[in-house]
Amino acid sequence: MREETKSFAAGSAASERSFASVPVENRPDLEDPRVVLSLLEADQVVAAKKQSRFGLRDFSPAVRVMLWGLRIYVILMLVIVLLSVLRALQPPH
Amino acid sequence: MGPLKLQPGAAPHTAHPTTESAAASAEAPELVRLLTHEDVDRARDRWQVARARSEGTRPNPFKGLRVLWLLVGPGILVFLGENDAPSMLSYAATGARFGIGFFLPFVVLTFLMGFVVQEMTVRLGAVTHRGHAELIFDRFGRFWGLFAMADLVLGNFLTLVTEFIGVRAGLGFFGIRPIVAVGGALLGVIGAITTGRYWTWERITLCLAICNTVFIPAALLATPDWHAVGHALGTWTPLPTGSRYEILLLILADIGATVTPWMLFFQQSAVVDKGMQPRDIKAGRFDTFLGAILATVCAIAAILATAPLFHHGIDASKFEAAQFAEALQPWIGHAGAALFALGIFEAGIVAAVAISTSSAYAFGEVLQTGHSLNRPFRDAWPFYTILLGSAAAAAALVLIPRFPLEFVVLTVNVIAVLAMPPALAFLLLLVNDREVMGEHVNGLWANVAGIGVTVLLIIAGIGFGVATVFPKLLGG
Repeated sequence: MREETKSFAAGSAASERSFASVPVENRPDLEDPRVVLSLLEADQVVAAKKQSRFGLRDFSPAVRVMLWGLRIYVILMLVIVLLSVLRALQPPH
Repeated sequence: MGPLKLQPGAAPHTAHPTTESAAASAEAPELVRLLTHEDVDRARDRWQVARARSEGTRPNPFKGLRVLWLLVGPGILVFLGENDAPSMLSYAATGARFGIGFFLPFVVLTFLMGFVVQEMTVRLGAVTHRGHAELIFDRFGRFWGLFAMADLVLGNFLTLVTEFIGVRAGLGFFGIRPIVAVGGALLGVIGAITTGRYWTWERITLCLAICNTVFIPAALLATPDWHAVGHALGTWTPLPTGSRYEILLLILADIGATVTPWMLFFQQSAVVDKGMQPRDIKAGRFDTFLGAILATVCAIAAILATAPLFHHGIDASKFEAAQFAEALQPWIGHAGAALFALGIFEAGIVAAVAISTSSAYAFGEVLQTGHSLNRPFRDAWPFYTILLGSAAAAAALVLIPRFPLEFVVLTVNVIAVLAMPPALAFLLLLVNDREVMGEHVNGLWANVAGIGVTVLLIIAGIGFGVATVFPKLLGG
């Protein structure tokens, strides 16, 4: 299935309109799919969400360096945590 | 499954169509087949919000409250959930070791940091209707997504273990056997999800989470010096004295008690599961703020409740939950000590529910299987299996004789702080991505605050690393 790359630039305006056709005073007949759909934004419907995904974004070299730097930072720090815990768990001499 | 055909051009921004046109289109028979139980439940929740917003034409002072009542939840849950057993023990240790002083405003600062980052997850969830793990995999790819998941899984599982340690220790004060305490807590987690409805699950968990406020009467029973509290909050003094390594460890633990990766994943997924939309962002922000305020008050209460141990020179450095409660008895009475123990139990069970749900949401999003509390078990069995499996495994570990519980408690908050900078980097990249966020991208000040929090966490982590490798540098 071809993946769509989407922009979600119209959030507020779309959500305001999505209520336009719903008679909110009466309890809605949720057996009717059109009523269900009128209450939800398009991308809130599970089936619709499955068929449209955000595409991969391009990383600039700076972002790539930052992500690698942070990854190395976490690995180093985990080693240090392990070291400190082993030290803390050692029985006092 | 056939494609969901949405009528093109229904909205001016066709890249973000609404379902309004689909409902009016001739595709109804196809849509009947595509709609799930989850969609119907979510639509019911949305109708409640729409009705509350449109109630009457005359001004109604309760209308806003009704809308808020319907929309609050994820923010309060995430902050009171993060006031979990290891966090409350960190605050208790802070009060017992340093009393009323620098750490009071410091804790307020950490919750401010927490609010800054959690508010971004509200916007991400409401605008994209996608969970955090799903967005990371979509935008950054599998390679980086797996790293993020590894951090989350490790942190969540260790934290879950500490929650059951808290449950065991808290109820231990009342003489309840560990197997009964831990088994009962596990049944509580199961009970919360058997409703098959996000809304009901959220309200049950919120009721439990509000019980975190039991630390407030415990603090009042300690008769704190309010003048000293005011002075500390205003001046950040007296500064902590003693072992610099211990101070640094408590600083790190207190930060880890407020900002952790699971919170990002949980709140965004909960916002999506609740069905929040961009027009709800303001209410979501208020919900997050309210959660941060409530959690700050409870955290400060835990510090104040244990401050008498500091004033009476009692060494609490090796205390566990039940020992804190027992040691406090002479100063805050049996009722106060019981409230403290009950608070640790409550903190453990609420966090066990929230954290196991956070893991399940993330796995469901990554595996692209049903991942909503609005789904019945048969439709989303991998989601519920992960939720219950992670909780059951953590509960079982706590019951193993001679399992190094101390090891886990020592590391969990520190690991949370250390894993946070990469999680924040992903968050900031996502929330600044105009293709994802549209008009809701971060503003200048949100970026300044977000980057500031990230840098602060990195500095704290490096400080901890240097102090561990070169302990003499800090004077032991």
